[in-house]
Parts: sequence; structure tokens; C-alpha cells
Amino acid sequence: MTGSYQPDGTATLEVRDVTVRFAGLTALDAVSLTVEPGSVHAVIGPNGAGKSTCFNVLSGVYTAAAGSVRFGGAELTRLSTHRIAALGVARTFQNIALPPRLSVRDNLLLGRHRLTRAGFLSAGLHLPAARREAARHLARVEEIAAFVGIAGRLSAPVGLLPYGVQKRVELARALCMEPRLLLLDEPVAGMNGGERAEMAELIVAIKESLGISILLVEHDMGIVMRLADAVTVLDFGRRIAGGPPEEVQRDPAVIRAYLGAATDLEEHA
Amino acid sequence: MYKLLTWLGGIAVALFVPFYLEGFWLQAGLFTMSAAIGAIGINLLTGATGQLSLGHAFFLAVGAYAYVYFAAEPEGHLAGLNLPTPLAAVLAVIVAGIAGGLFSPIAGRLKGAYLGIATLALIFLGQHLLFNAEPLTGGYNGRAVPPMELFGLVFADTPELVILNVPFGVLERLWFLGLAVLLVAAWFAKGVLRGRPGRAMNTIRDHEIAAGVMGVPVGRYRAGVFVLSSMYAGAAGVMLALVFQRTVPEYFGMLLSLDYLAMIVIGGLGSVAGAVVGAVFVSFLPQLLTRYSDALPLVAEPGSGGVSPAEAARILYGAAVVAVVLFLPGGLLGLATRIRLAVTRRVQLPAELTPSPDSRS
Repeated sequence: MTGSYQPDGTATLEVRDVTVRFAGLTALDAVSLTVEPGSVHAVIGPNGAGKSTCFNVLSGVYTAAAGSVRFGGAELTRLSTHRIAALGVARTFQNIALPPRLSVRDNLLLGRHRLTRAGFLSAGLHLPAARREAARHLARVEEIAAFVGIAGRLSAPVGLLPYGVQKRVELARALCMEPRLLLLDEPVAGMNGGERAEMAELIVAIKESLGISILLVEHDMGIVMRLADAVTVLDFGRRIAGGPPEEVQRDPAVIRAYLGAATDLEEHA
Repeated sequence: MYKLLTWLGGIAVALFVPFYLEGFWLQAGLFTMSAAIGAIGINLLTGATGQLSLGHAFFLAVGAYAYVYFAAEPEGHLAGLNLPTPLAAVLAVIVAGIAGGLFSPIAGRLKGAYLGIATLALIFLGQHLLFNAEPLTGGYNGRAVPPMELFGLVFADTPELVILNVPFGVLERLWFLGLAVLLVAAWFAKGVLRGRPGRAMNTIRDHEIAAGVMGVPVGRYRAGVFVLSSMYAGAAGVMLALVFQRTVPEYFGMLLSLDYLAMIVIGGLGSVAGAVVGAVFVSFLPQLLTRYSDALPLVAEPGSGGVSPAEAARILYGAAVVAVVLFLPGGLLGLATRIRLAVTRRVQLPAELTPSPDSRS
């Protein structure tokens, strides 16, 4: 299975000894993890543990100082963001990153960027080929919008929508890339209970009906325990534990990282 | 439907203008058309993609002077290729695009205000070349612009041409050419903005990292938009040269670049209509003030000391820029949209804009 390349299906994501430094601060220190095809893998850890940095390395926003990231047959560490996107790696952001004045429809169509071809000339000249291409992809965009539950909002400018809906739009935009690997950076952060449950159901539905691998950063332990097939725990840039969720939950190192050392606890008790 | 009627009405009015208005207004209108073409170009770059350019005047100069060079007969120490004028105009636009392309390694790598500072250098480079590359540019005196000749029709005062009892001089003839070029320029830009490139450009402006992650090659797009905007500036330069009938080097300076930025800020950033509205505002105002300088308080006749009409116009639209930035984030176009929305909302509340029960943010 290791490093195998499956053009139509999903592929294994292998992160090996990735290190990231920001001028003396080691944000990630030799972190390794493996995401099996079609599984949901959660990365958890206290604030500042390096979870978002890890995502930024995987999507090409940051360059790793050392280590390798392999997805299918490709090495991602030296690729620019748009080339990683072209391999079928999609992501959402912790803080919503949608152009607020564009409609939901246009935002989702941006997700089709890598699958479409119209350039300045064919778009400017209103060529029939460009129009046909847009119509074809719009049909798929509407399907995905319905799947994510935002079909009624396609014409609304994103900036006018409630926060929970914007989070869904971002997820839909990532799905519009037809990804093989989906990176979700805190998909339920800032949501209320009802919205959290709906988003969790949606992620389960994505896993089951689309069969893509999902890497998830999340603080909500209930969601993590419910969704994840495997968990990696980071603390101060280091991987301190990993494995099935129920095992990780009981790991003393993890409890220490979240709640402080046992001695501290006794002192405060 | 409503939009289509406005368009058709506007075009019909524009077609009849040369039959009724005198030369002064036609010239002001032609300047405005040329400005609108250039403004559409810089709005693609600055408004839609978020890349500031202070070098727009340089590319206007490239377009204007390249047209003259390609079209003029060699004369004395002045060089020229004596090509057919339509070909010269097309080549001039292409040369402006190439000039933009030569700058694109920088335009692709710098973002926002940093590009603005880098493009400032183009202004000084341009001024130096215009004054000193005499065989090409005619130096301080500039060069006479050969009239355009399209399908046997010469865009000049001779030979005489009378249509419906109206003598058609250079301005009347150019009016239709300018209108056609402006419409094509606007149509093309609208296609770009509404299509795949426009979505990518807007996302680069609002969330550069997100654009890259969604598969948009950010650097390549920035460079491409820069080239496209240079070509629009080149086309505006050719139009301007044809209307002026003479190229003057100091015209293509820093102030012209700032005028273009003022246009898109006042009219509305990121849209074709905003660029056109802003171009009308910024290039019509000085003409109006010149025309009525004797009737207006505080504005002196040009050359008589005191505040000249051109200076008064600059002060006025400087104030307009400040007012727009403070009170009208969408520019004049945004104001129009807001008024229209307010009117329609009174008739019927659009479902998507009403606060929904799940909005708690």
C-alpha cells in the first residue's frame, strides 16, 4: 500500500519527519503521520501545538525545513500551492477565506478552477466553448451545493450569509475541486450545538458517499471521537501520541498535555 | 431586460451626439472614451485583482508613441515605418502588452502596494525616454499623429464629408471609432470578469493563499492581468493620440497615473461600469470647468494666475476621492446600486437578504 498511486481512487498520505522552523522557533519537530485511503484522520493538540502549521505544509503554504510529504506517487514538500491542488488536495481554513462579495455560485465555481480551462482570451471573447464549459461545471456545482445543504443560497453574496453557512460554503468549495484528500481546519469552530451536529453528519456523509481521505484538525473532542478512524496528537510541535481514538483518549501523555502534569493537578486540587 | 434597454438607449443617444453637439463637447467626450478604455484596464488590475499600479501612464505613452512610430512616414531625423494605420494601431496595443510582459516578472511577484511602488519607476523611465529618444518620440516637441484610415475613410478634417447636413470633421468621425473601441473593450473586460479568470482574480485580491490552494497559479495570473491592463492602456493611448493629433511627452506623467486611480476609486473598484462612470467624472470635470471658468467663482482663466480650471478640477476630484473612500465604499456605482436596492426593497424584500433565524454571528 505504501506510496501506491491510484489515479482514480484515493492515495495514502505519508508525512515523514517534517520539521518547520520560524527563525529559531521550531513549529514542527520531526512529525510523522499516515492517512490511510478513505479514512478520517484527526490531528489534535493544545493551542500552538503546530496543527495549522502542519496543514500549511501539506497544502504548500509553508515549506518544510526537513522531511517529506508523499501523496500517491508525488512528493509535496517542494511543490507550490496550485500544483498540490492539481494533485487533488483540497482544504478549508480555520478563519473563513472566501471572497465576501462574490456569490456562493462564483465561490464554488472557483473550486472548479483546476478542472476548467477558459483563459483570458476565451472568457473575454465570450467564446461558446467557455460558456459550454461553465454550464457543464455549474451543473456539478449545483449538485454539490445540494449535497452540502446550501442549494438555496447560490445567488447570495457570501459576505451576507451567517457564519455557519459560510463554513459550509468553504467545505463545498473544497469538494468542488473533486479532491482525493480533504484537509479540514477546525470545521466546527465557533458553531453552536445544532450546527456542530449537522457539520459532523456532513463529514460522515462525505466519507461514506465520496470515499475520500479526510485529515481533520479539531478541538471538539466529541466530534473527533465520533468521526476519526485514527488520531495524531501534537504538543509543542512534537507528535506525542497516535492511534485509534479510544486508545489515544486514555494515553497519559495526552492527558498531561491537555490538563498539565499529574503533580500540577494535585497541587491545584 | 431593464439592463438591455438601458444599454440600447445609451448607445442610441451616443450615436446621435455628433449630429447635435459642437466640437468642444465632442472632444471632451472623446477624451472621456479614451480615459474609460484605460480605466477599464487599470480596474482589471487594481480593482479586480488588488494590484496597485502607478505606471498606467507609461503604457498609455507606449501605445500612443508606438502608433505614431508605426504609422508615420520617416521624416528628417524622425523615424517611422509608414505601415497602414489600422495595423499600426493593433501593433501599438501589442507593443504595450509586450512592455507589460517585460515588467511581468516583477508584476507577478509583488503584491498590492509594493507593486505600486515598483511601477512608479516606469513613470520616470517613461519620461526620460520620451524626452530623450528623439528619433522615436520627437523629444520635447512630441510628434504629429498620422490620422487613422479605415476602409478608405480618413479620420481627419479633409477630405470633406457631410452627413445629414452636418459637416463631419475629425471629431465627428472619431466619435464613432471611439465608441466602437470602447464597447469592444467593455465587452471583453466583462467576459473576463464574469468568467473563470475573473473569479480567480477576485480571490487573489481577497485571499491570496486561498486562491493558490484552490489551484490558481497566483503569480502567473498577476502577470497575465498586468499584461492585459497594459494592452488596455495601449489602446487608450492610441485613441488619445488620434484625438489630440499630437503626442506631448509631459502629459504622460505621474498625474495621469493618479487620474486613472482616482477614476476607478470614484467610479467603483472592480467593475467595468465603475471604470466608465469614474472616467466620465474625472475627465469631464476639467473640461467643464475650463468651459465655464468665466462664470464660476474662484476659478481663473487659464494663464491668468489664480486657480486654473485644471487645478480646480484636481482639487475637486481629490475631495471626491476622499469623500468616496469615507462614505461610499462602492464608489458612484455602489451608490447607484444601493439606491436601486432601496427602491426594489420597498416593493419586495429579497428573500436572500432577509436575516434568517440561524444568523447568530
